[in-house]
Amino acid sequence: MVDVALIDHVFILAAILFCLGLVGVLVRRNIIFMLISMEIMLNAAGLAFIAAGSAWGQPDGQVMFLAVVTLGAAEVAVALGLTLLLFRRYQSVDVDNLKELRG
Amino acid sequence: MSYGASLITHLWPLVLFLVLVIGLISLMLAGPYFLGSRRNARATGEPYECGIVPVGSAQYHVPIPFYLFAIFFVIFDLEAVFLFAWAVAVRETGWAGFIEALVFIVILLVALLYLWRLGALDWRTFRQKRDRASVLLR
Amino acid sequence: MTMTELHALLPIIVIAGISVVLMVMTAFFRHQRLASLITYGGFIAAAVLVAGQTGSGPQQATPLLIMDEYSRFFSLVILVTSLAATMLAYDYLRRSDVFKEEYYILLSLAVLGAVVLVSSNHFAAFFIGIELMSVSLFAMVGYMVQGRTRRAVTLEASVKYMILSGVSSSFLLFGIALVYADFGVLSFSGLHSLLGLHSTSSYSQIGAAMIVVGLAFKLSWVPFHMWTPDVYEGAPVPVTAFLATVSKVSVFAIIVRFFIESGAFRLEALVQALVWIAVLSMLVGNGLALLQQNIKRLLAYSSIAHLGYLMVAFIAIAGSNLANTNLAVEATAFYLVAYIVMSLIAFGIITTLSSPERAEEAETLAHFRGLFWQKPGLATAMGLALLSLAGIPLTIGFVGKFYVFAAGVAGQLWLLVGVLIVGSALGLYYYLRLIMEMCKAPDTEPAISREETPLENRVVLSALGLVLLVIGIFPNGLITTVHAAVAVLR
Repeated sequence: MVDVALIDHVFILAAILFCLGLVGVLVRRNIIFMLISMEIMLNAAGLAFIAAGSAWGQPDGQVMFLAVVTLGAAEVAVALGLTLLLFRRYQSVDVDNLKELRG
Repeated sequence: MSYGASLITHLWPLVLFLVLVIGLISLMLAGPYFLGSRRNARATGEPYECGIVPVGSAQYHVPIPFYLFAIFFVIFDLEAVFLFAWAVAVRETGWAGFIEALVFIVILLVALLYLWRLGALDWRTFRQKRDRASVLLR
Repeated sequence: MTMTELHALLPIIVIAGISVVLMVMTAFFRHQRLASLITYGGFIAAAVLVAGQTGSGPQQATPLLIMDEYSRFFSLVILVTSLAATMLAYDYLRRSDVFKEEYYILLSLAVLGAVVLVSSNHFAAFFIGIELMSVSLFAMVGYMVQGRTRRAVTLEASVKYMILSGVSSSFLLFGIALVYADFGVLSFSGLHSLLGLHSTSSYSQIGAAMIVVGLAFKLSWVPFHMWTPDVYEGAPVPVTAFLATVSKVSVFAIIVRFFIESGAFRLEALVQALVWIAVLSMLVGNGLALLQQNIKRLLAYSSIAHLGYLMVAFIAIAGSNLANTNLAVEATAFYLVAYIVMSLIAFGIITTLSSPERAEEAETLAHFRGLFWQKPGLATAMGLALLSLAGIPLTIGFVGKFYVFAAGVAGQLWLLVGVLIVGSALGLYYYLRLIMEMCKAPDTEPAISREETPLENRVVLSALGLVLLVIGIFPNGLITTVHAAVAVLR
């Protein structure tokens, strides 16, 4: 069991990871990097769950982490499918090609 | 024990480990510089790839089936995560847990069946399939 | 798991069964009619099971899910809506050349997610439900990109939806993790004695705010609405019909349950933020709808505005007077039903008029010009839906809006009620403009095909139109049902 006082540190780390991921999604234009950034955000949440679960001495945090990992895999599976479609159409993975919908 | 003291007791092995790792790596990098002989042949500057001469740029397109298999791996890998969690608690969950795990596996098996019938597990490229089909027709 | 729990979970198991059966079937032989019939049958069976359990009292099935009158009511609403949406989509899919059976697999998975979502009273089930629904939805938006019927915008819509959906689930999860870190509880009712009561630490406050942000993306509350018009326009219209109704309603239903059961209404800063979100949603939604030439975008902005109206009732739940809060919960549930009926008709008509073989959808004003003279039946249904969206008396939309208005007045939310009135006035303009367009003389070369409307679509649209009118004139039946359904909360 982790020292409760260390929880704050873990949460600060998780928050930093989350912000890094968010910035990545916002500034990157390559869809692969956007997906990686999304994964970082999800795993930041997962880290927070693990930390919280161990602070309370419950397995719930780890169970939620399993759910998070599963979601990450499912999302990436569909997202990579879309990436392939994007690449086939534009011969590039730059999302700036997608600019027809405006207004 | 105060918070700072507990932090130090928790962290000192990590710090020591870091120092050792950095020291070892510097030693390994610096050693050859002083001990080794200098030679400048044609292949000296090239990256070592198990004896094969690397050819071409590193930025080539990975064929699409590789992505597909990466996705399958990720998904079916997670099956193991859940089954492991069940395996740890197999005595506590009893028959109900067994049936639930069975349902879980069957659903994933159905998904695999679907993928197989869809042709997603076919490793060959489109061109290979077409060539094979033309061979069979002949 | 006991037998009673299993019995309570039976509807969910049936829905899960649909997708498994369909997957096996699709693996060996593809047949759209059979797939659609299996889907209809499964939804009807699940709905009958849910209806059969109505009145048998709350049943907690595993710590994650609760089957009470509230979740049964919304499960029924979701199942019936999905049935109607699937039937409306049949002909559109038949004429397109993509894989058709996958639509039914993905749809039944999304419905499974929605039903799990409205039945959850624990963060784990809440999260699994919402993600099962979103992942299936963005697959549904995206998978029709291939084939002859592809429209250039579909891929863009699906990529946007996928990324925003991923970001919003991360917000949701991080919020849940923060709340969990603060209290060590993941069930909604476990939070009731904790959230907002003791000197709440910043963890749970930030956590609750992040949960709301995550859900606001899914509900397209302003300022988290940017994806909505693009996705509505880009997605194939049967998918849009499903997305606009089931996903919005199930998320709204659970956010009401979450706020009431966890006591999140006690966080005053959060409620204050919700007020501003509501004001912005109503104003921005209606304001931008005025500028739209594309019908799907217009309906997207109008749905943003309607979710803003719903928030008036939602915020009124926060009041301290018990009678008022009950009225507000009822108003929310009633308006959700009204919103489903109206939107489903509107998108159903667009689905019916669209021709996937020409890779175009009936989404411009030109498609609707003179519709009354060419297809009077469809035009009447569309007219009714638009009048109802505008809140004209004798329609379900009027009763719903009146209910929301009453809840707002009872909760003394004068700012929100004022904006509600302004928004409705703006709404009147663009809905009536579309009706005027339908009344004009048709062009010499009509933009829509002259094909006969398929029987399935005619049946569903007339049934929905009838519901719209009957509940609009005699709302008592639905009001009693809603009253019984929401009584279990708190």
